[in-house]
Amino acid sequence: MSEADTPGLESRLITTGVERLSLLGRHAESLMQGYAHDEVPLDGLSNTALRRLLAARIVWRPDEQSGVKLTPKVRELIAEMVADEARRHVNADVAETLELIRSLVESYRESSHRGDYWQQEQQLLRLRQAVDDMSGRFADAIDSLWQRLNSDFGFVSRLNDKVRENDRAQKQVVRLLDGLALIDFNELIALVGSDGTLRKLLISQLQQQLSEHYTSLREVQHRLIELMARFRHMQSRSRLVAGMAAFLREHPGFVPGNYARRSEVPTLFNRAAPLTAAGSAALDRAQDTATLSALLNDIPAPAHSVQSVSAARPSQSSEGDHVAARQQALKQDVETFYLHVVDKTEPDQPISALEYLHTSELTWNAEIWLFQVIAEFQGLPHSEQRAFHIQQEEGQASPFNEVRLIHDVALSLAV
Amino acid sequence: MSDMNALSNGLLPHGPLLERLLAGEFICAVSDESAFQRLEDEDTREAIDDYLRPLNRRLASNPDASVYFLAWRQLDDSARDQLSRQLSDTLHSLLPVLEWLQLVQEALGRDSVLSPGDVLKPGELQAKSEDNPSLRERIERLATDSFFGSQSDQLDAQVKQVFKRLKEHGYLLQPHGERQVFLVTGKIDYLLDLVRFIRDEEHLPVDEQGEATQEALL
Repeated sequence: MSEADTPGLESRLITTGVERLSLLGRHAESLMQGYAHDEVPLDGLSNTALRRLLAARIVWRPDEQSGVKLTPKVRELIAEMVADEARRHVNADVAETLELIRSLVESYRESSHRGDYWQQEQQLLRLRQAVDDMSGRFADAIDSLWQRLNSDFGFVSRLNDKVRENDRAQKQVVRLLDGLALIDFNELIALVGSDGTLRKLLISQLQQQLSEHYTSLREVQHRLIELMARFRHMQSRSRLVAGMAAFLREHPGFVPGNYARRSEVPTLFNRAAPLTAAGSAALDRAQDTATLSALLNDIPAPAHSVQSVSAARPSQSSEGDHVAARQQALKQDVETFYLHVVDKTEPDQPISALEYLHTSELTWNAEIWLFQVIAEFQGLPHSEQRAFHIQQEEGQASPFNEVRLIHDVALSLAV
Repeated sequence: MSDMNALSNGLLPHGPLLERLLAGEFICAVSDESAFQRLEDEDTREAIDDYLRPLNRRLASNPDASVYFLAWRQLDDSARDQLSRQLSDTLHSLLPVLEWLQLVQEALGRDSVLSPGDVLKPGELQAKSEDNPSLRERIERLATDSFFGSQSDQLDAQVKQVFKRLKEHGYLLQPHGERQVFLVTGKIDYLLDLVRFIRDEEHLPVDEQGEATQEALL
């Protein structure tokens, strides 16, 4: 290959590259449709345009029947550009790059021996690109990992998916760390020998970059594991709740042991009974008097509102009023009964309360009537009680106990 | 100054906290953040424990120490009776509360069971279930459970009653009385710890770790 040919090749490459890159812009809409869905829609594309896209390997047709799809490289490029973490690839591919670097270093040496400086320059350029690519791939991968971490894997919604994504990310970290471990600086030192330019590029510069990547990867790994623990914790809580609820539904009669009777009561079940710290006003300290009297003054006076005549309404007897009225009527009837006893004034002729109830055609329930008669007697002042004789007609409620029932009460005047 | 004075002066700022603990409340980072922070300090805990000694009580926490409460120091017969009654109350409430946790998780499309600090709005739950007959039915069944005890056949009253009961039991906190916004408290952690304990003690076939077995069955 002569010196004259090479720049020509280069300019041809540049022309083609520019043409093909501009295809990306011209058909951006269709291509993004192809990215978002499975296939690139053909309606918007002319035959020529499709042919060009196929020739540039921007799209391809996996087989005769299938539609046109984005090539993996283009898909990856878009994923990188829009930081689409669900599809971004992490691929450091160190082994291959190392191969490339070794062969480039050899070519560089040979050019140097031949004195072919232009060629040597080209090899060095490609070598630089190879080293930058490798470091850049690590940087991209680490960036993608951080993005996923910082969003708590927000690009998937279900917890189970998050756990899987986290797992995948952790495996990627391991692969990246394995990739870093492949780079053997002793080998590189031997490879570059005494060449100052190579030494700077392949040893000092690369070493510094890789050690930064290593630190980042360790940090990412640490954080991923922490996040995973949190995800697992959430998962286990959900399972626990679902599992226990299902168990209790299936076993409605389930009763665990009485932990409160164990010699060692488990801490969780030892909850002391509540205790209220009550306090009351006390006057035994002189300095409190002022405060207490102030408090007393602050108590609102009971409101006795003046009932204005204009606001008066027809009376409405409430439930309570009704009950009170009945109670009053009962009391009056019982008093009439007592007066009846006094009026009859036939000593030793007690009058039965029940008989009176029937003959007077009163409608009181017998039990309530008797109760009120007895209550009335007990409510009398002691001096007046002595004026009456009250006899309770009792019977045993059952042969098995001592409960006695009052069947009637007979009242007479004591002479 | 005597030791007793030093002790009570040291506890002076903790008066309201002691009162809440004695009243049987659970103290967590949600229910009282500053009190909780103080309880994280071992010296404070010891001082409070000393104070509680004559009351036959001590400070206790769940295994993660995310919630504090008072335990009996010495267990006499009456304390054991009280604990037995409490245990049976807790068991009675277990299924309704667990079912409610599941229901909220599903209704609101959440990844995980409610955790302390989560915000809940009864209105949101109600809105989600209005157009969802199966959810509606589950809320009804839950609300009329004797633990929640709703008498109503109206969805909004049922949801309200459920939240009210959970608030009474300390699982929820309503920071502003007039606003229908609730916070989940650390007592939920305590409940899950209880569940875990019962599962382990009774060797119940309730799986916590088994990855994806249920999904596989589905």
